[in-house]
Amino acid sequence: MTTFDEEMMRRALREAADDFAISDGAVESILDEARETANSNQSPRIRAFIQRNGTVRSTVLAVAACVVLLAVAVPLLNSEGTPNKKSPVQFAAIPKVDTNSAPALGLVTGTGNLGLSGQVTAVGTSSPVTFTDRKTLKNASASSLDGSLRVEEVGSIQLTVGGTYFQSTLTKLTDFATTDGGFVASTQSHIGNKSTHSFSTGTIVLQVPERLFTMLVNQVRHAGRATSINTSATDVTGQYVDLQARIDALQVSRTQYLKIMSRTNSIGGILSVQNQLNSIQSQIEQLQAQLNLLNSETTYATLTVTVSETGHQVVGPPHPGNGVDKAWHDSLHGFAAGVEWLIRIAGPLLFALLLLAVLLLLGRWSWRATERRRGGVG
Amino acid sequence: MSDAVDVDELRTWLEDGYASSVRTAYLILGNRPDAEDAVQESFLRAWKFRDSLATGSSFKPWLYRVVVNTCNSKLRKEIPHRNRRRPDDDLDDVAMTEDPIGRVTLSHDVISALKDLPAHLRVVVVLRYYADVSEHDIAIVIGRQPGTVKSRLNEARRRLALHPALQSEAPSSLNARKEKRS
Repeated sequence: MTTFDEEMMRRALREAADDFAISDGAVESILDEARETANSNQSPRIRAFIQRNGTVRSTVLAVAACVVLLAVAVPLLNSEGTPNKKSPVQFAAIPKVDTNSAPALGLVTGTGNLGLSGQVTAVGTSSPVTFTDRKTLKNASASSLDGSLRVEEVGSIQLTVGGTYFQSTLTKLTDFATTDGGFVASTQSHIGNKSTHSFSTGTIVLQVPERLFTMLVNQVRHAGRATSINTSATDVTGQYVDLQARIDALQVSRTQYLKIMSRTNSIGGILSVQNQLNSIQSQIEQLQAQLNLLNSETTYATLTVTVSETGHQVVGPPHPGNGVDKAWHDSLHGFAAGVEWLIRIAGPLLFALLLLAVLLLLGRWSWRATERRRGGVG
Repeated sequence: MSDAVDVDELRTWLEDGYASSVRTAYLILGNRPDAEDAVQESFLRAWKFRDSLATGSSFKPWLYRVVVNTCNSKLRKEIPHRNRRRPDDDLDDVAMTEDPIGRVTLSHDVISALKDLPAHLRVVVVLRYYADVSEHDIAIVIGRQPGTVKSRLNEARRRLALHPALQSEAPSSLNARKEKRS
């Protein structure tokens, strides 16, 4: 707008606004109201809030910072702890194995020259966790069911033994099961031949009374070099009780139908009741079979042991010993770890950023509202 | 400070700034009763919360800020939700019912264009061209950056220049403006 326009605007606005008279009584009425307000003293609370405004704002910011910090820290901590939580009854504890029997799933850290001494230390996830968890499950269930606990336990162990000990290990495993009051459910073995460079492998399924399962696992893991141990315990008490209740109910129905049948004289009535009886009987037998199976599974725990001759186990790609290859491998590993870390924190970070944005918007809104109020009042 | 002394202070404020505040509010709101209500409310609130005026701060922008915020509050909350007041209170009609000679026509056209502006633009125009508040102080009044005030003033000027009432009233200036743009 040109100067002329601005002047025109000023003149027009003055002409529009200055031509009417201001009533004299307005000032006095405002003063009267101000005196009344001063006497009623209604403002301290609002004034105190405004005076506290800086403190309130700082407190809100501090709370927001804490929330953001928690939002970032908690998911990160959870993600760090996830591997131990994922498999409640899984572990692989290997005290020492030689190079040829290095576990495929364990983390292997070299403590010497792999090619010469052949000694490495394999570190797996800690085993006590699994036993603790299983015992906890049993204890918790037992406390709630007063001794009627039904737990189905299964496990698997991979053993590596020297070639000369292969057969004796299988025999030893059989003895473990039979001595404990159990039995061998199945065996499968393959005897290797050095001339054809094949290795001996075998799988044996042991079943022992459920209460002796832990002891059997301990015995078996020391029968050779255990490369992995997996156990799981499932509380099937609810399922067991449910089956039992349904069978009882059907048996009661069957008894009633039998009574009805004894009182029925007509052929049609007898046939009708007989049909119902047949149906009920069929259901009872099905449920009874399931119950028996469940009973068997909970009475006996199953442990599958895979025995392999030393050298048979598939070992991961050899880790470069030193030099450029090792550096390149470490570099790739570091890069992959960095990418994994970025992906891992992306979720919590995004959440935190969103939260921060919301908090900033809220803070800005409240700040502007406060400012407006302050502007409205001063 | 006693209440009696404070009320004397309020009297001073009113004597110094009540009339100009009412006229400013009138231009912002568009009618006298609302303007008087807003300014009375503003002075009472300003006096009630006079402690919030920081030491060393300028009084005039602070008071205008109270007035403008009260006007904005009325524009947002009250005026849109009620029937309009008497038609002869409106800016258009006040301008038309005054002096019938030439200046009324100019005033009427400018006021008409002003009424068509959004409230946030109207406020800066009134403060700048009627209340003669500097851009820096307008920024304090509306709680925005000085750059925002500049841009709002530019936008207001642009809209006013394009308003049909002003184009018919001052063709020479607009033509000069168009030539300058081209």
